[in-house]
Amino acid sequence: MTSATASLRHTLPHPLSLLALGTACLLALPLSYVCYLALTADPAIWLRLWTTRLPELLSNTAWLAAGVAAGTFLLGVSLAWVVVRFDFPGRRVWEWALVLPLAMPTYVLAYVYSHVLGLGGPAEQILQAFAGSDVRVMSPHSYAGVTLVMILDTFPFVYLLTRAALLNFNVSFDEVARSCGASRLRRLLGVMLPLLRPAIVAGLSLVILYVVSDFGAVSLLRYQTLTYAVYQQLTGRYDTGAASALSILLVLFALLFLAAERWFRERSRFYQTSGRYRSLERRACGALGATLITLYLSLVLGAAFLMPAWLLVRWSSSALSQGVMDARFFGFVWNSVSLSGLAATAAVLIGLPLAYLVSRRPSRFHLLCLHTAYAGYVLPGPVAALALLVLFAQLAPWWYGTVLVLLCAYVVHFLPAGLQSLEPALQQVNPNLEEAARSLGESPPRVLRRITLPLIKNGFLAAWVLMFLQSMKELPATLLLRPVGFDTLAVRVWLEASEEYYQLAAPSALLIVLLALPALWLLVTKDWRAA
Amino acid sequence: MTPTKQDKTVRVKDAQGAVPSQRPTVLELRGVSCVYGRDRSAITDISLGAQEGEILCLLGPSGCGKTTTLRAIAGFEPVSTGEISLGGRLVSSPGFRVPAEERRVGMVFQEYALFPHLRVAENVAFGLQHLSRDAQQAQVRHMLELVGLPDLARRYPHELSGGQQQRVALARALAQQPVILLLDEPFSNLDPDMAGKMRQDLHDLLRHTKTTTILVTHDHDEAFAMADRIAVLNDGRLEQMDTPEAIYHTPSTPFVADFVGQADFLPGTIEDGRVTTEIGEFPVHTAYRGGRDVVVMVRPDDVHIVPLVNATAYIQARLFHGSENLYTISLPSGRTVHSSEPSTTVYPVGTPVELQVIATHTVLFDRSRNHLPSS
Repeated sequence: MTSATASLRHTLPHPLSLLALGTACLLALPLSYVCYLALTADPAIWLRLWTTRLPELLSNTAWLAAGVAAGTFLLGVSLAWVVVRFDFPGRRVWEWALVLPLAMPTYVLAYVYSHVLGLGGPAEQILQAFAGSDVRVMSPHSYAGVTLVMILDTFPFVYLLTRAALLNFNVSFDEVARSCGASRLRRLLGVMLPLLRPAIVAGLSLVILYVVSDFGAVSLLRYQTLTYAVYQQLTGRYDTGAASALSILLVLFALLFLAAERWFRERSRFYQTSGRYRSLERRACGALGATLITLYLSLVLGAAFLMPAWLLVRWSSSALSQGVMDARFFGFVWNSVSLSGLAATAAVLIGLPLAYLVSRRPSRFHLLCLHTAYAGYVLPGPVAALALLVLFAQLAPWWYGTVLVLLCAYVVHFLPAGLQSLEPALQQVNPNLEEAARSLGESPPRVLRRITLPLIKNGFLAAWVLMFLQSMKELPATLLLRPVGFDTLAVRVWLEASEEYYQLAAPSALLIVLLALPALWLLVTKDWRAA
Repeated sequence: MTPTKQDKTVRVKDAQGAVPSQRPTVLELRGVSCVYGRDRSAITDISLGAQEGEILCLLGPSGCGKTTTLRAIAGFEPVSTGEISLGGRLVSSPGFRVPAEERRVGMVFQEYALFPHLRVAENVAFGLQHLSRDAQQAQVRHMLELVGLPDLARRYPHELSGGQQQRVALARALAQQPVILLLDEPFSNLDPDMAGKMRQDLHDLLRHTKTTTILVTHDHDEAFAMADRIAVLNDGRLEQMDTPEAIYHTPSTPFVADFVGQADFLPGTIEDGRVTTEIGEFPVHTAYRGGRDVVVMVRPDDVHIVPLVNATAYIQARLFHGSENLYTISLPSGRTVHSSEPSTTVYPVGTPVELQVIATHTVLFDRSRNHLPSS
């Protein structure tokens, strides 16, 4: 009935539709162009890649994804289990604190760990003090090193989704299993895990998507993956053909996991009981249990956030005393802030009509436009950069090498994240509210001003903040597209960390982490409202 | 098996509720149809009118088009054929639609649609922008007193209970003194205990303010309690429009008979002005114009049962409803009829019983023309 009346309401054509179509086309252009380049590339390029780099790159990327997935599965699920099933002192603080690692861009964590695990670094000193001077810790510039860094950076994705699923878990399922005489183990393996599976898989897909498109950690730790190779093809050889060929493989990888994530998230909806239900009860733990749990949580959070943050603070203070915070430094801050602000504003203005059309006139055509706009999601940073690089070189060479190119890259890359916040904000505004206002004598423009805009203000703001902060810490596209001499905070961190100037990089890195905290707060409060 | 008891007199409503004929018509629909997309029709050829001060109820199962009708009146749906006039002014016809904001209709939505970012007083004042600030405040105070919530003006909608939200929505709709008030399932979001009281209050309020009202519901009890007249809709078409009593006692189609209360349908044959069925003979109403093969509608409250050792019918089941017992009686042919007995009259299942049917208003349907509801 409701859907029927809804479709009845939305049969009229609208001039905004054309705008939506235009936006979608512009946003999809880079991806289509990369595909075009890859498909029309000289077969010799494919052959050369296949015989030289590709096998190594593919296996490296796949192994990294598999290792990180396994690690985040263990960490994420166990942590979620602990904070949902047990009650212990400080539980609420831990529940919140465990998402902090998301505030740390991979290149920051990678650079901290390349110091900590490096030759003669703190980890080695501590180990040698106990086990003798000829013992070595694992090198950070290895498979194990990169995997560790990526696990520590991405486990909160699995943790958050599993935790939400556990909080929504209907205890009746467990009770039914008990009344059927199922043992503890059978209930865990036969009831709990299968019901949590969609959430876990969705979390893992996000992790893999993140790992596959990561540039910061793999470049600093010099681990050869597809993303890193695209960057190298572009900077070392300026070989756009080969870069496109590698990119299309990356995009396929990303699409695969994005589709998996969507599919499992859809399914998880059916797994949750709607309406009234009782959730799982927490078990109080004794002193020993509480100590063990706290120890475990401290170890994870210490390694993933507290220790790195502490090091950054220490380095920053010594850098400060050396007078690093000069006018040049504030120039980088200004570059970052103004560029990100512009990008976020542009993206909100572009995204709003699209989101409005989809939620108020959800025709197949508008949905198609929206999905096209999401294309930027499957573009890893270097690929987005590559696409804009060649596009501008072909179509508008006079703008090539200006800030405008960089802005476009940010919008294409981060608009999907913004749309994810704009869309629900609009959908939460019941169309009945707008109709009620009209039945009370208000014209459509005044309804927009008095009802719709005030109600979506928060979603609007959240989208802006998210896109602003994503742009602040964006690294690969900025490295490739920035005008000569135009450095941002993220670029400074990467450049200085590559030269192993740990202290010089610290103030910029610390600032990025601090600025990421509000975005994290948005993410967490949204998640908690959903849970 | 002879008719017993006194004739049941059909209750007549109070003076205001009696079918008004000389009062002006506020709303009129003439042959209105609405379509979804290209060709699927939501409502087809609906004609009805509402007179000033009348409460008209649109009753029907979900998907019957009652909400679409309401939305067409409010101006949210275009009509594909027919015309709608409000207060003597044409507001909708094919290709022409006075926008909702210019119709002065008060609408209360199913979920009330209170503006979550505005306080109660601001919600109620929303449609009063043309008035001075003082006049607005006075009107808001008056409306909140009318719905019994004078102290909640400073609250936000999420701080109100379901019943309070409904009253605020009502106050907001009535504040602009609308030509007509439209209520879309106003009680469906309240718990049943609450709904009974709210129904009574709303009825009193509408009478008191003499508001012309169109109420949409799927609940026949609600329609009976509230309406002066009921329009029963099925599958986008108007089946019958009449007073609640007439709808219940003399339904014009088997669908209406079945939808507004428990009904059994027994086949019969007309001979010499009387219809013969398995449970007895009944007079044929002079208005009946149809074939000889008919079905007779019987309501449980028209059937009385008496235990009798060698009777051919017996009790198949008993359902205790608190205020009554509903018996299912199995007839020799295998058909069943229902009988409503007082709460304290309890017979065990299997008891042979004799049926006494009150046949004052026999309702007949032509068997060749009517498709019977399966019950």
